[in-house]
Amino acid sequence: MNCLEFHRQKLADPRRLSGAAQAHLRDCPGCLAFARSVDESERDLERALTTPVPEGLAERVILRQRGEGRPAWRAWALAAGIVVAVGVGYVIGSSPDQFARLAIEHAAGEPESFTTLYQTEPAKIGEALRSVGATLKEPIGRVRYVKLCPLGDGSTGWHIVFETQDGLATLILVPGKQARATEIATAQGWSSLVRPTASGYYAVVTASPEATARVDGVVRLRIAWQT
Amino acid sequence: MQQRQDFEQTVRAYSADLYRYARWLCRDRHMAEDLVQEAFVRAWKSWAELRDPARVKAWLFTILRNECARGFARKQVETASGETDESELPPVPSFEAGLEIAQMVDMLPEAYREPLLLQVLGGYSCAEIAEIIGTSEGAVMTRLTRARQAFRQRYADAGKKRVSK
Repeated sequence: MNCLEFHRQKLADPRRLSGAAQAHLRDCPGCLAFARSVDESERDLERALTTPVPEGLAERVILRQRGEGRPAWRAWALAAGIVVAVGVGYVIGSSPDQFARLAIEHAAGEPESFTTLYQTEPAKIGEALRSVGATLKEPIGRVRYVKLCPLGDGSTGWHIVFETQDGLATLILVPGKQARATEIATAQGWSSLVRPTASGYYAVVTASPEATARVDGVVRLRIAWQT
Repeated sequence: MQQRQDFEQTVRAYSADLYRYARWLCRDRHMAEDLVQEAFVRAWKSWAELRDPARVKAWLFTILRNECARGFARKQVETASGETDESELPPVPSFEAGLEIAQMVDMLPEAYREPLLLQVLGGYSCAEIAEIIGTSEGAVMTRLTRARQAFRQRYADAGKKRVSK
């Protein structure tokens, strides 16, 4: 095997080298260095692609499959049981930073919001802000993503991503849910801040507490919030 | 009864891998979970026809892939205007390294990205990927080689940028 053939094989399937490729690797320092560099980028690639899996996914699939074979009332009873269980868990699990943590979970769970241009027209942003009783006084930065999303606690919120001096920032607007006070949370390498508004709350999420505070300053200055 | 137990064991073993693959195919976590649900519903309906249990994982990935294609076809009919325009993505400021890598993968052409996802997330060989996507093993090897060449080029460029900052 020559070096060219080795490179091709290593790039096509780094973890399954043929006997001939392994023999070549032992005798060729250049290809050994190449193989190590491919393995390094492959590890980073795997880490980046391994997105978090929603908790209880397998159980939900099994539950649905079992439910399809049952009389309708039994399926409903099962579903009602889950709703009660989730509700109880939610009440027990509520904490002073629950909305701030929820915002981090949502932003971290939607990496496509940072790489996709979606509904960026001003009318959509206006609609999102009105839902929490707010209006735009001045532009907050170039908006890249505006989407109405279901959140982890069963509520619905507007998910906005915009450019700032600190990089991309996420603003989540949640109508109809009252945050009792300002909340701050840091988790999974993200930082968030939640403030109540007249008819809901908003959350700012960035990569650091300092950036979150700066972006919150911009958001408070350039958006008219009715509190 | 035994069939149901085997099926449920399969769900527990592979739902996470399928979800990650679906997530990258459709780029939406809610849709990804729906796809996994639908794929398993179809798998259960055809469970009795599965002759080789050793091939169950590849079979599930194929079902999910078909389910995703059906979902996209439906979505295109529903929203003919297509609100997402990824072809016009401007450069994104670096937010964190993982996200940057994910974006590099996202920018790969579909023909390169899909076999790469199947290999990294599903752990498949070139021959298995060829079977799942319905092409030759040689074609898959070429696509994977090009995918990694393109990825490694962007990866190296990003590393240089980080060092120069």
